[in-house]
Amino acid sequence: MPTIDDIQNEDIRFEIGEYIERPEEFERFVNLFSSIVPLLQDIAAAVIDGDNGLADELTQQALADGITAETIMDDGLIGGMGIVGVKFRENFMFVPEVLACARAMKAGMAHIEPILAAHGGEPAGKVIMGTVKGDLHDIGKNLCIMMLRGAGFEVYDLGVDTSEDEFIDAVEEYDAYIVGMSALLTTTMPNMGTTIEAFIDADIRDDVMIMVGGAPVTQEFADDMGADAYGKDALSCVSLATRFSRALASEAA
Amino acid sequence: MAAPVKEMTGRERVMAALNGEPVDRTPVANPTSVATVELMDLVDAPFPDANRRAELMARLAATSHVDLNFDTIMPVFSVIQESSALGCKMQWEGKGNWPTVRMSEPIWKTSEDIVIPDDFLMHPDLQCVLEAIRILRREYGNDAAVIGKTMGPWSLAYHCFGVEPFLLLSLDDESETRRILDKLSEATILFGRAQIDAGADALTLPDHATGDLVSGEYYARYLQEIHTNFVDEIPIPLILHICGRTVDRMGYLSHTGMAAFHFDSKNTPEESMAAVEGRIALVGNINNPSTLYAKGPAEVREEVYANLEAGVQMVGPECAIPLQAPLENLMEISRAVKDWHADQAVPA
Ligand code: B12
Ligand SMILES: [Zn+2]
Repeated sequence: MPTIDDIQNEDIRFEIGEYIERPEEFERFVNLFSSIVPLLQDIAAAVIDGDNGLADELTQQALADGITAETIMDDGLIGGMGIVGVKFRENFMFVPEVLACARAMKAGMAHIEPILAAHGGEPAGKVIMGTVKGDLHDIGKNLCIMMLRGAGFEVYDLGVDTSEDEFIDAVEEYDAYIVGMSALLTTTMPNMGTTIEAFIDADIRDDVMIMVGGAPVTQEFADDMGADAYGKDALSCVSLATRFSRALASEAA
Repeated sequence: MAAPVKEMTGRERVMAALNGEPVDRTPVANPTSVATVELMDLVDAPFPDANRRAELMARLAATSHVDLNFDTIMPVFSVIQESSALGCKMQWEGKGNWPTVRMSEPIWKTSEDIVIPDDFLMHPDLQCVLEAIRILRREYGNDAAVIGKTMGPWSLAYHCFGVEPFLLLSLDDESETRRILDKLSEATILFGRAQIDAGADALTLPDHATGDLVSGEYYARYLQEIHTNFVDEIPIPLILHICGRTVDRMGYLSHTGMAAFHFDSKNTPEESMAAVEGRIALVGNINNPSTLYAKGPAEVREEVYANLEAGVQMVGPECAIPLQAPLENLMEISRAVKDWHADQAVPA
């Protein structure tokens, strides 16, 4: 069993020791970071620190060292974003800092994406995300998108004030299996239900998995509307999307 | 025991509470918005017109005193009047939703871009508010406190620069962020003073540096001084409004000299009272999305009592009331306040 002292990067050791309180998450991060080379730990640390210059530089260096694009993405960039997600959930980190981390991750991804595209690598899954009609709150949705991208999903962001037709068109255009809707207002929450009805009318309800979230939304409300799942934060958004795409993959297999 | 205070009008009660003086009973106040669809129908003043035409705005606002028995009247139902006057892209929406700014299409990128037009106050969306205040002052004179609203620079920056670009900037470039806040404060002051001239008794100053987005230390770094300054520049009782989690910054904001802080149900009445240590009055904090919108009068009453027992100086909803909140829940607020005080008066 590896321990936290097996992690070489001092910052990562500090981050895990200081901020990761749930035992299962602690164990997962210790296992991950103790098993990867120091350079990848440094990349993760640059993401957590929101240092886009360093993330950019180290990603290029890792590629030059012959580490594969997938490994850099999964262990370095996504590994770092994993810690960011927990720190935000636990209020150790706020939105400006999370935005900076996402920017750092993007700086690294800029070198990774072209390589993955050339190899024809498969994304973890395709997700359509939007804030529903009449609602302009998008910070929570955007954080979900960052974490989804951070977990390797290909996300199509429909922005705010998204109509039923825009959701439907996007599913058809991008051939996506997962749809996420966000609402922060009690006045717009029912628009999630009407969108789900529109999916039924368009005869595509069974082709997609629908998850919903946003501060006023509850599990009960999600069930009433006929959503497939409710997620209370960005990390649960990622686990829902992961569950859906695994289920799809095993169906296909 | 202090001598009992003679019965007050709504206006006297609110002004006393804002000035830290004794009251005959706790005032019922909403410094953000009381508009609901039912009230719009009741007085035939629907959104979006009630946000743009002074007579309709005044008529809908007055329902809070006339129909709901609140001690305040607040004619500004949204957070966007100034942003519209600054040139933001607007979405006025329909009856069933609040108007908003398209923050995903920001109008400015740097502090250099900021222009407060010379005729800013002449913009129809600001004139509408000023005229509504005049009407309300005339018609409800001493009955209720007429409260205006002027948006703070942090919220205006979300609208004009976009939330994410602005929050990233606040991390990257502290001095540029300060320049933006300073320049936008001019709009806050101009519109605030104009509402005093129009006859407002007090002003709400929303500035969404909330714990859902930024740390308490951010409030201290960027806003405490600006807010302290507003107290001199806008000479009328000011009610700071920040919804969401704020208990970690209540200590800071209690030192600004503002008269009151309008707080959200994500903070309990007790912890909030403890955090401000009597330096600022509190208004709040009945929950909107779950209680006023979805529960019943009994649960509303429970939250009113919790506030009264904690010593919260003015009781009311935590933020703009959900447009679909049932009237019976809203009417329960002032009933509960009166009943609680009646019970207190009975000698043991
Ligand atoms: C910041 C804020 C604003 C900003 C929005 C900026 C923006 N671009 O988003 C501004 C100041 C512009 C604003 C405007 C308004 N607001 Co506002 N706002 C807030 C505030 C303070 C924080 C919201 C936030 O961003 N939280 C931080 C994010 C990270 O959290 P989150 O959105 O919940 O997202 C997380 C989870 O919910 C989840 N999640 C989110 N989406 C999804 C989707 C999926 C699929 C999944 C799985 C998970 C998931 O993951 C996220 C990350 O962990 C809340 C207060 C509160 N108590 O929530 C009020 C609040 C939402 N606003 C409210 C109101 C009333 C308004 C206005 C109507 C005010 C007015 N009078 O005009 C306008 C509405 C405009 C409109 N039509 O949309 C009310 C809504 C009440 C109601 N009845 O519905 C609230 C609840 C305040 C209150 N206590 O009453 N607001
Ligand atoms: Zn609010």
